[in-house]
Amino acid sequence: MQVSTHELKSKIIESLKLQDITPDQIDDDAPLFGTGLGLDSIDALELVVLLEKDYGIVIKDIEEGRPAFRSVKTLADFIAAKRPQ
Amino acid sequence: MNEVSIFAASVVNPADLAATHLVRRLGQRFGRLDLQSQLALLAVESLELDFSGWARDRIGICLATGTGSLSTDVSFWQGWNGVGGPSPTLFAYTLPSAAIGEIAIHYKLTGPNLCFVGDDQIVLPEAFDLIRRGEADGCVCIFSEVVSVELAKIIPATPAASAWAIFLKRGDGLHKLREFDRDMKALCTLIFQIKSAV
Amino acid sequence: MREPVVAIAGCGAVSAVGCGLESLLNALRSHLLGLGPSEKFSSPRFQSNLVGAAPRDQDDEDPAWLLAREALQQAVGAAKTIKIPPQKIGLILSTTKANIEALERVSAGRPCSKAALRHLQSNLLAEDLAKEFGIRGPVQAVSVACVSGLVALSQGVKLIRRGAADAVFVVGVDCLSEFVVAGFTALKAIDPAGCRPFDAARSGLSPGEAGAAIMLVRDDLTSPTGITLRGYGGSNDANHLTGPSRDGSGLARAIRLALDSAKLSPEEIDFVHAHGTGTSYNDTMESLALKTIFGEACPPVSGAKGMLGHTLGAAGVIETIICTLAMKEKFLPGTLGLTNPAEGAPKSLVRRPRAADRLKNVLKLNTGFGGMNGALILSHE
Repeated sequence: MQVSTHELKSKIIESLKLQDITPDQIDDDAPLFGTGLGLDSIDALELVVLLEKDYGIVIKDIEEGRPAFRSVKTLADFIAAKRPQ
Repeated sequence: MNEVSIFAASVVNPADLAATHLVRRLGQRFGRLDLQSQLALLAVESLELDFSGWARDRIGICLATGTGSLSTDVSFWQGWNGVGGPSPTLFAYTLPSAAIGEIAIHYKLTGPNLCFVGDDQIVLPEAFDLIRRGEADGCVCIFSEVVSVELAKIIPATPAASAWAIFLKRGDGLHKLREFDRDMKALCTLIFQIKSAV
Repeated sequence: MREPVVAIAGCGAVSAVGCGLESLLNALRSHLLGLGPSEKFSSPRFQSNLVGAAPRDQDDEDPAWLLAREALQQAVGAAKTIKIPPQKIGLILSTTKANIEALERVSAGRPCSKAALRHLQSNLLAEDLAKEFGIRGPVQAVSVACVSGLVALSQGVKLIRRGAADAVFVVGVDCLSEFVVAGFTALKAIDPAGCRPFDAARSGLSPGEAGAAIMLVRDDLTSPTGITLRGYGGSNDANHLTGPSRDGSGLARAIRLALDSAKLSPEEIDFVHAHGTGTSYNDTMESLALKTIFGEACPPVSGAKGMLGHTLGAAGVIETIICTLAMKEKFLPGTLGLTNPAEGAPKSLVRRPRAADRLKNVLKLNTGFGGMNGALILSHE
């Protein structure tokens, strides 16, 4: 089941405590790491926790999550594919 | 020249986190800092220093905290049993010196760092020594005291949250530092009075 | 007037390779692995159960006191011929988590003595250690992440140089705890195969614990070891909270400051004892810093964290003690856990212990979360 990118963006903002930004200001395809939103390695780990807490997805190896974390869209697709039904 | 002076001083508490014009200058990621680091960083920002004329590797940071990072430690540990485990971000702040990292990153200060646990009396003499020995030309001094309601249930302490900051520099300033000047809190009050009188 | 020279008068240690300097020396000579599986961390919530545990009851409620007191007792004993009035003896404690065990106990509703709870606070732990041994001079509790030990040693030197004390006991302690292992697990920073400093296949650290103590003294008072603290440098990368500066420039600056303060050039350094945590980032950064300072002429380098684990606040102190043992006994410690050096790692890495003809000047490095770097130079007259 597809997860709404708006909902995912809200969760990312909340979990990473980003200031002065609304879901509408995050582009679906913009890079999350490096440029774009400028997240770092600790944020990646925090997103791994988010995936388990909110979607029941356990990522054993951070490398497995890397392609999924490229953008909000890739993350939403990853969740739709992996979340337990 | 052997004189060291207080150039600026500030005091902040959690109510000041609502001062959006200052907080906005501290960046989009300010929200992820723990309260202790937020207060320390805000106290330094409130000094309204302009480092542009300075060699950043000649500015030290000297921090002391009353109870280390214990309030954050308690938060981290309480998250231990949650689904997904404890927060990696929070763990990064379970060190008394975490605020030093934040201050160094924000102002690009690459000089020497000191961090103590205990009362505020240690900060100024040690910062003064750094400057006197020639290891730094200026020093950002911070004392922060954060005791959460949760921590106060565990150790005999009263809930509190404040941070004091003083910038010491070689040469002239608002107040020449004397040997017995150790009480950061009192000195911040004194500086505030001096500035108000001007 | 010449500033006093500060020398090492006595040491004490307890760690994964045993209790006492003799055990530590034997372990270094025989390349003994101190890491081992621990029942306490065998739950899947922890990334690995391979840790460097000291020979103590892992269920003790006040391990910080236990380990610190033991080490300090040894150091006091080693220097008992030196007579200094108690008011001129100081104590500096280096620890990141003090007795964090108490927080775990109280949170779980388990019994916890008042003393154990008191030692949750570093400054109170320091006060109690000073009181226990009749130390009545200045007492400081230093906590600067994994560079604490070196900062504490430099503080000891400062106290003596400005006449606030004639001798200072620098005590480093940190204990294995669910708190710390859980934290490193959350950061995915642990190598389940055990810490492999500078190895091509390295993937993280191993948690460890230790108590270590060094008595610093003005060198005109008796100094049996003849080893002095000749220089020190500290700096900050100002880059990222848990990731060191990409190019090692911060650590290189700290080394340069240490060399300048010791009035030594890089060619005069005979051995480097690295921080070498075994994480991808740290060891790469450290290799770059060493390349910047020494070019292709890097002196022998080794690291102890593959043997003892990462002992956090105790690391700077116990690793300095390792340097002094090496200097006195004229040998180079090996680097346990290192099999295939990574590309870019110093060519002069020492894998297994071997004799050294000259160990006059030794450089000890540590770095810590928050971008902090420390470099200490020891000299043997």
